[in-house]
Amino acid sequence: MNSAETEFIAEKELVSIVPNFNYEVIYLISGDIGPFRAGLPVKVPIWLAMSLKRRQKCRIVPPRWMNVEDLEEVKKQELNERFFTKMPSEHYMVEAHLLLSVAADDIPRCEQIRTILKDIWDIRMSKLRSSVDQIIKTNAIHARLDHLTLMEINSIRPLLPHALDQLFRLQNGRGPSQASGSQAFTQ
Amino acid sequence: MDSSFGLDNEVALSDDETVTVQQVLETLENAWLNEKFSPELLPHQTDIVDCMFEQISGMEENLEKVDQSDIRVEIHRMELDRIRYVLSSFLRTRLEKIEEFCTHIIEEDSTRDPDERYLSPGEKKFAEEFQNNIEQHFERVALRHMPLNVQKYDRQLMKVEPNLKSYVFLRARSTAEGLMLEGMDDTDEPLTMVKDSQHMALYSGVASLVKNGTLQLI
Repeated sequence: MNSAETEFIAEKELVSIVPNFNYEVIYLISGDIGPFRAGLPVKVPIWLAMSLKRRQKCRIVPPRWMNVEDLEEVKKQELNERFFTKMPSEHYMVEAHLLLSVAADDIPRCEQIRTILKDIWDIRMSKLRSSVDQIIKTNAIHARLDHLTLMEINSIRPLLPHALDQLFRLQNGRGPSQASGSQAFTQ
Repeated sequence: MDSSFGLDNEVALSDDETVTVQQVLETLENAWLNEKFSPELLPHQTDIVDCMFEQISGMEENLEKVDQSDIRVEIHRMELDRIRYVLSSFLRTRLEKIEEFCTHIIEEDSTRDPDERYLSPGEKKFAEEFQNNIEQHFERVALRHMPLNVQKYDRQLMKVEPNLKSYVFLRARSTAEGLMLEGMDDTDEPLTMVKDSQHMALYSGVASLVKNGTLQLI
């Protein structure tokens, strides 16, 4: 999976917008949205929010967690805990990136938010790297990865699974050097 | 003007099952991710794919009829584009696997009951044609110029099999108990995957749970 696809999946998340137009309920295949009343917040998927924002048809209400105070708290917790903590959103990094890119004017102190998010990401990535090291060293056959977000999983794919595949293959004595004829063609 | 474009929100997938279009889309998206990350070909989802195609074309027809400056038209179009992307990515991933593991997939599928085949009728036709074309191609380009003793194309020798012993990431959609994964011995406690927990494990140990929907590949 590439990062564009991670983004594609994150774009399905809902975000509140305040439209500046009136419209009835729209029956999308993925669910109904609206009705839109100028000035009243309504939840829509991020892909739609971004498109409306670009056409200046709405203002985006930042998700509840997207403010400096809450994120500082998340960061502190992430620093103190040995394991990964639960992020306020399954796609916190992508959501923040998307919303800050189109709606920086709707989100107060967006530069600071960006910095804190980057810090959180860095802390988590360094935890991830040491976990990966652990997994490889202890030869784990199973690992629990709670609270890792899709983007983070994606960052160790395909390296980690692939390295483990190779280890598994070597341990079971079916390395390419021993393979004969037909096995040489197996993937 | 009717704002729902006259499409039914409920569709019948089989005789006794009615689901909303929204659920069909969710199933499709999950199947797409499973197919993307599993090393082998998974059972086909023709019902879901056909249903979604019908919805898309129905919606497109209706969109043609209304005033193009209507804000809805663009919103619906954007959504259709997103769904079409998932559909084609799903089908393309399957075709890639069929091309790679052609002989293996055809062999495996011929041992299954007609109702439980992994290939859809269209994919089966494609797989067989692909296999024949490859063989004919080898024959014409190279094999017939070879010494007699190496002129034969041996399917078994050329067969490529998926590596089921590869690691995948997954999330439990419902709790799975008493799992014994490959590489665990009798002294190990059986594993429980609690609902919504995330794991990394060997695909071969969890394949059946992925196919029955207990686990979702991520």
